[in-house]
Amino acid sequence: MSRFACVWVDCFAAAAAERCEPALRAGPLAVLGPAAPAARVLDANAAAREAGVQPGMTETEARARCPALAVRRRVEEHAASGRRALLEAAASVSPRVEDWAPGVVHVDAAGLARLFGDPAAVGRRLLGRAHAVGFAARVALADSRTAARLVAARARGAVTVVPPGRAREALADAPLAVLGLDADLAATLARWGVTTLGELAALPRAGLGTRLGPAGLRAHDLALGRDLDPFVPWTPPPFWEEAQGLDWELDSLPALAAVLEAVLGRLCARLAAARLATDALEVALELASGAHHALSVALAMPMGEPGPMLTLAALALEARPPAAPVTRVAVSARPLVARAGQGGLWQPPAPPRRALAAVLARLAALAGPDDVGSPRVEDSHRPDAHALVPFTLPQDAPEAPGERAPRRPSPAAAEGALRLVLRRVRPVRRVDVETDGERPVRVGGRRVVTCAGPWRGSGEWWDTGVWARDEWDAALGDDGTLCRLAHDRRTGEWYLDGVYD
Amino acid sequence: MVLPGSITEIVGRLSSGRTSLLAACLGEVTGRGAVAALVDADSALDPASVARAGVDLARLLWVRCGGRRDVALRAADLLVRCPGFALVGLDLGETACPLSPAVAFRLRFAVERTAAALVVVGRRRVTGPAASLVVETVRDRLEWAGPGPVPTRLGHVRAHVRVLRARAARAPGAAPLGFCA
Repeated sequence: MSRFACVWVDCFAAAAAERCEPALRAGPLAVLGPAAPAARVLDANAAAREAGVQPGMTETEARARCPALAVRRRVEEHAASGRRALLEAAASVSPRVEDWAPGVVHVDAAGLARLFGDPAAVGRRLLGRAHAVGFAARVALADSRTAARLVAARARGAVTVVPPGRAREALADAPLAVLGLDADLAATLARWGVTTLGELAALPRAGLGTRLGPAGLRAHDLALGRDLDPFVPWTPPPFWEEAQGLDWELDSLPALAAVLEAVLGRLCARLAAARLATDALEVALELASGAHHALSVALAMPMGEPGPMLTLAALALEARPPAAPVTRVAVSARPLVARAGQGGLWQPPAPPRRALAAVLARLAALAGPDDVGSPRVEDSHRPDAHALVPFTLPQDAPEAPGERAPRRPSPAAAEGALRLVLRRVRPVRRVDVETDGERPVRVGGRRVVTCAGPWRGSGEWWDTGVWARDEWDAALGDDGTLCRLAHDRRTGEWYLDGVYD
Repeated sequence: MVLPGSITEIVGRLSSGRTSLLAACLGEVTGRGAVAALVDADSALDPASVARAGVDLARLLWVRCGGRRDVALRAADLLVRCPGFALVGLDLGETACPLSPAVAFRLRFAVERTAAALVVVGRRRVTGPAASLVVETVRDRLEWAGPGPVPTRLGHVRAHVRVLRARAARAPGAAPLGFCA
């Protein structure tokens, strides 16, 4: 047996504005349309409607009826983000949801009672998820989407459950206005004295079709709670986006961070409602100059808390600030399921991933993103062939003490000696060298006490990066500095490669 | 030699083995699976030679500062405040200037909280009384090797470490060191 739920948010445009600016919930609010030629009320919240504010009024008229009215221009991003948030909240309860209209979501509730309990429990769960993303909703459950939607539209309580097979009775008292019929059809039915869905459903269907045509039959089906259109499931996008359009331009990073905090808060609430996390953020800024500024923020681990995300995004913006004042902020996240992990029993404590991510971001902002990472020796004989790769915590746990295989000591370790390390001179410094034959005898005016070499090497002769050089280890001058010299055999020049230390 | 939650300084002249001693400490820490960091003021680290010295490069975070001392100090300050790094090396190179007592003790209090070991390497002492252990590496002699009378390779560097300051009374006064090229 099919069961459907409908999640209904009253005055959705106003609710979406309140979601982005929660302080507006405290009083009457009207959302206005375009300013030209005269700003008219598009939507109003319950407090404003109680004071007499209705959609279609001019702003002046609305303010005259409700002096305490707060007004906001309609921001497309608020409505779009709110609509997606409501869908995602419903999708976290059932895999099949339908986007019917702004603030109206149909949910296929078949089988959900086995997961969550009775139908009322399913409704309460949907209600809780909607509340978690910032909407005060109503939920109705019935045999069809139409019945559930019509019941939810005029329900008094938060959760209404229509028993199976009782949709017609549940809709009988509903006024015809809930169907949203066109004016001519509504006027005709009014002339006939039909004012409720029950009266419309009681009319003979054949006669209704003869007199009113397809529109009349469609109205009759709706009055009976029958679904006319196929269910169109909504597919979640690969990235979840939360945006904030701004009435004013932001030209400082602290102000931008405050807006980002609000946007990330809403995005994380959506993720939390769906029990998801994210490991990458995309921040897109629209600038007053008309340009766009986009940057990626890689998170070290899947997370759902806005605090660390804000820190990382603010540091990324600090490293790459926008070139002009900002007029719109959008953050998108790739949702994924976070899996809990456990460290190894023999593994020494490692930096917490969140703290490490913040420290790496701060270090990148401080020293430069190309100067922070883990060194990696390249598979090449070219001198100083190395790369700096992003630092990540190694996943392989060291061996337990009992499993550790005995290592064969190196000759140096067998003697109790340590390995001598070279300090590189970067960039490589050219030096003047006097030679006796091919052996260096003076380096930059300093006498070479002893030297050993040459250690000859060459490579990449098959490519454009050909190199060939001799290396000498030399003890210099009076202080005995032990350095490595390199003689480029292609150019004949000498370089100070590094100092042994 | 290096104690968690304290500052250790390794000072000495060039080619005395101070960087090799730091590499040995990094190798010991990363070899047991812990994570270490190296703040390199002069960007002088040679990854190939420290890898040969036993450092697990995958467990080493390298911060290159390109000669900017202030950046190196701020980076070290960030790292010692992040829990989980067993050892943070701060290589100040040849132009190490003494830190103000406020900065030095700020570092010390930070490592005491996170139990990280901060090892500062430089030509001279910089942290003053904030350091728990200060050792100086002194080179004794070089040993060259080769089949004939003319040396063809560097053999060993013989050196010793001398303790200049130790808050723990058990530290020995001096110990020999050998470095194999």
